[in-house]
This record gives sequence, C-alpha cells and structure tokens, in this order.
Amino acid sequence: MELNGEQLISAPIPEVWKGLNDIDVLAKSIPGCEEISRISPEEIHAKVMFKIGPVRARFAGKLLLSDIIPDQSCSMAFEGSGGAAGFAKGKSRVELKQAEGGTLVSYTTEASIGGKLGQIGGRLISASAKKIADDFFQKFAKELGGETVALESDAGGK
Amino acid sequence: MKSAAFDYVKPKALQEALSLLEQGGDDAQLIAGGQTLLATLNMRLSEPTVLIDITDIAELKGISVVGDSLRIGALVTHTEIEDSELVAKHAPLLKAAAPHIAHRAIRNLGTWGGSLAYGDPAAEWPACSLTLRATMIIHGPAGERRISANDFFIDLYTTSLEPDEILVATEIPLASKQEVFYFHELARRHGDYAVAGLAAVAQKQGDVLTHCAFTFFSVGATPVMATKAQDLINGQKLNDELITKAVAEARNEIEAIADITNSAEAKQHLIGVLLERGLKHMIA
Repeated sequence: MELNGEQLISAPIPEVWKGLNDIDVLAKSIPGCEEISRISPEEIHAKVMFKIGPVRARFAGKLLLSDIIPDQSCSMAFEGSGGAAGFAKGKSRVELKQAEGGTLVSYTTEASIGGKLGQIGGRLISASAKKIADDFFQKFAKELGGETVALESDAGGK
Repeated sequence: MKSAAFDYVKPKALQEALSLLEQGGDDAQLIAGGQTLLATLNMRLSEPTVLIDITDIAELKGISVVGDSLRIGALVTHTEIEDSELVAKHAPLLKAAAPHIAHRAIRNLGTWGGSLAYGDPAAEWPACSLTLRATMIIHGPAGERRISANDFFIDLYTTSLEPDEILVATEIPLASKQEVFYFHELARRHGDYAVAGLAAVAQKQGDVLTHCAFTFFSVGATPVMATKAQDLINGQKLNDELITKAVAEARNEIEAIADITNSAEAKQHLIGVLLERGLKHMIA
C-alpha cells in the first residue's frame, strides 16, 4: 500500500520540525497513542490502540529515523505488531518546505500489512491509512496551535 | 479461530441497554444481527469484554407508517425489508437494493440499524438512507435526538453516533406517485462488495426530473452525493446531451479512493457508467 499526501500547517518550519521530533507532541497527535518513549535520537518505541471500523487492536511498534536533515527532511522505517490481529511495516519520507501561510509537510509512505488485519481489512486499508494520517495532522496542527489545510492526499492500493 | 471470552447480557428495555452501555464504556459492544461483529470477534480483531444483545428490545423492531414517514426499526432485518409490502409501496428503492446485500442467509440476520451504525462505505443502506433523506432517531443518556442521514455519516466507519448512544429507528418520507428510482451496483460477483454503486431517486414529470438524489457508494470513505450533477439535471429536459454533461460532472465532483483491487480511475469511470444507466432508466 502507498500513501502520499501534503498538508499545510500554519506554523513556521522550525516549530513544525520541533513538533515532529517532540515525543510529547507526537503522543498527543498519534490517534490512539497510549505510550511513547525515545530509546535513542534515532529510535522511538510506541504502543498504539488502533481503532477503526471493526478493528480494535493494540499495536506495539518501533520507529527508526535516518537521513535526518534538521528543518528539512527525514526518513523513517517502522514496524508494528498487533498480536493475533496482524502486523504492519514500512517506510516513510517526510519533507518540510516553506509555503505561504506556514509549512508544507509532504509525505510518501509505503507499507505492507499482514496477518488477519491484512485479510479482513485489505479492502479498505488505503482509506483507513488516509483517515489515520489526516487525523494525525489535524491533531498535530492543533498541538502547535495552528490548523491544517488539506491540499491533496492520495491513497493507492497496491 | 474462536473469540476471546466475553460476558453476555440481553436487556429487555432500551433504558436498560443504555445504562449497560454507559457502564461498559469502551469495553462494551452492542450486538444485533452480528454479521460483521461475530467474524471480527472470531478473528480476534476486536476483544470487547461484554456484549449487549439488543434483539429483545421491542422499541427497535418493526416497520410502520407514522404520519407521512415510513419508520424502520433498527432491528429490522434486510430480509424483512426485502419482503415488506409497506417498504415496496413507500420506499421501493430499498426493496430494489436489498437483494444486493450479500446473500439470503446473511440478510436473514443482518439488520438495518447495524448496517447504518457501522457505516461501511460499500454498504447499501447508508447510501439509500442518504438518497431517501432519512432521519436517524437516536437515544442516549440525554434522551432522544434526531439527525438527517446527510449529517450522520462523517468518515470511514465513523458516524455521529456517540459511544453511549443507540440508533433506534429511521424515518423516511413516503415516496410520492411521481417518484422514480434506480439502484445498481457493479460487483465482481453477486453478493460481493460493490466496486461502485448508485442509489438514485427523482420526481418525474414528462421528460423532466426534479428533486434528484444520486448517492454513490463504495467509491470513497462514506457514501457521497453527486450534488452538482443533481443540480444540472433538476428541472431540465433530460436528453442525451444533458446526460453526457451530468456524467462528466459526477466523475469530476466525486473523488474516488482506490481499494485493494480497483484503482481510483476505474471507480471514477464506473460512477459515470452507473449514472448514465440510472438516468436512462429513470426517464424511460
């Protein structure tokens, strides 16, 4: 599955960058986040209650950051396991750009989902991923005291 | 697989169900027909600690005419809708849509209210309720509230229902003599989830359609109305040229989301195919 999108957040780049690297801000922005901790500058562990439609599963996962260029971009690899429900893993690249009215955050994500979740949820996995990403940016922008302007996001099944 | 252990209660009264739901909080789950929930439990995609079976609650049952509306209780099964004379007379779109829902064994158990409250974007009833301008009757700790279908479906699997509320029934304005309708879905095989579907009604006078409502489903995160295409058709003489314009408008205004087997472009194309067929059917 691929998920690509752009969000305009009405805050300056350094604030957005700081927010994306602040686990307290992330904890409040990630939908269903129950626990988050930074193991090292490049590694974050989290527990997330994934609630969408018929699914209510607790995922434990880790996030590895790389290619970090402050105030510009970073790459991350993630993997999470939800026990009987299944697993998800993938990678994402996030870029920040100055734009009129704030910061343009663009992201590209490739993920694969397996196990029961993949079998049952497969039909709507793209729509689900898009909803979670939209929820995240809305909460994130609120945490930074701004708001999001959805530009375009497109979820492709693959 | 088998589900994790859970408690089971079967209240007789709506008030009792509401207080059980409030006590249970996040760990409680309502069950009616169970056609989605049971599969989810057995797959352990969800592990509620208590199931509240609402199938004994009389207030949630039955189909009746109340004033100038058709009232359909939340517990009415798909089969009951399919076989109801009241539905055939006053909301014929629903009778036409029912056979598209999975297959008979599922329709015998699955419910009207369950389908609406679940809000699957590929489901028939959410789309039909939007097209027929249904009003949802909801009970919660604060009493009764009513909300139009238009405001009820918010996002993927997300409705305006709060966790402590129960959908009791819906009211649908009775179909007039001039009402024409069209329901069709394109699926890989009968009973499967639609790749794209259309639930449409309009009032017909000669070769003019008015009060058009065209709801497409299985194309986005919620059922979605082609309001611009509707405006183009409303009150105008319907000919091939207008149909071509409306088809282009519908393809343009609705943003389809891909699913695992069908691209957004394919769905966008099918939206036009369905609308063209629907308009030709309704004006014939």
